[in-house]
Amino acid sequence: MGFQEFVNIGGWEVFVTLFNTLITFLIVKILLFKPVRKVLAARAEEVKAMYDEAEADRNEAEAMKKDYTESIANAKQKANEITQSATRRATVRSEEILAEANRQVQDMKKRAEQSIEQERKKAINEIKDEIASLSVMIASKVVEKDIKEDDHKRMIEDFIDKVG
Amino acid sequence: MVEVNGPKVYTYLFGNKALPITETMVNYWIVMVFILLLCLFLTSKMEKIPKAKQAVAEKIVMIVDGLVDQNMGKNCRQYSPFIVTLMFSSVFGSLASMFTLRSVTGDLNTTLGWALIVSGMIIYNKIKTNGFVGFLKGFTEPIWIMTPLNILSEVSTPVSMSFRHFGNIAGGLVISTLMLSALSALSSALNLPIPLFQLGIPGVTGLYFDLFSACIQAFIFSMLTMAYVGSAKE
Repeated sequence: MGFQEFVNIGGWEVFVTLFNTLITFLIVKILLFKPVRKVLAARAEEVKAMYDEAEADRNEAEAMKKDYTESIANAKQKANEITQSATRRATVRSEEILAEANRQVQDMKKRAEQSIEQERKKAINEIKDEIASLSVMIASKVVEKDIKEDDHKRMIEDFIDKVG
Repeated sequence: MVEVNGPKVYTYLFGNKALPITETMVNYWIVMVFILLLCLFLTSKMEKIPKAKQAVAEKIVMIVDGLVDQNMGKNCRQYSPFIVTLMFSSVFGSLASMFTLRSVTGDLNTTLGWALIVSGMIIYNKIKTNGFVGFLKGFTEPIWIMTPLNILSEVSTPVSMSFRHFGNIAGGLVISTLMLSALSALSSALNLPIPLFQLGIPGVTGLYFDLFSACIQAFIFSMLTMAYVGSAKE
């Protein structure tokens, strides 16, 4: 068993080196890089999928938020409309009631005035009668003259009419 | 008497004197088996959420991909496995000396083989980018008189790469061997009962000549490969 020179170059030895390097290259490529690249790619794929999913979720949430905002705005508007129409109706109704009340009051006032007038006329008439009979009685007592009551009454009524 | 020898010749293939099976080859095969087992270990039971060893495998791939992107430009990741091959072979081939094996990279044939592959890649990429005529024309730039120098620089690339790597590791080997025998001589000269000097000092120097040198040379070789091939693509 001999030794080679410390520094020597041989075609065969270089060839064996090339061959060994090729085998090592294949080992590294197939047993190290291929599986690691596969795992890295799978992980990148998964991360991308997660990002995509998150993005989709976000878009959905945004759409829902928009929907909600819109419907809330709609509801507010509707509530406003309802309030306004109710207010309007209430105003109209209260005006109607007021008008009705006014009318009734006017009627009642008119009727009361009428009845007062009637009562007054009645009273005046009664007083007239009373005065007439009183006058006749006084006159008959004073004059002691036989005067027919009806003539006296007529004369006194004439008098009263003239007086007012 | 100290001897620093080349790799041992174990036997000859088919008994042919031109086809020796050397220590370097055998050690390379041992290193290859180690790399094979390492790859199998690192990538066994891969999961979506990485455990420690899978994280190491992913980190190796990502670091080398990052280096390749940085030094060679985008879309060069098909070179990453070759860079890792060089790094693994070089580091483990050099560190074999820590396990009493002769360094695989302490043999010029190994580093020259790698450097020739790199040289082939450089030429292939130059032809692919500029066309064959463009590649030939590249030698006459900036002026035709530079042609011999350009050819020389093309040839010197693999030579310098291979000699740098081989020289560093083989130099370390020579220094370690010489120092060990010197320390042994010192111990026996002082009539020490145990070879005290050989005990700790070679370990400290081995830290540089075996560990540091092995790592830095593997890194330099890989970085140069990326830089040369990357610039050949432009």
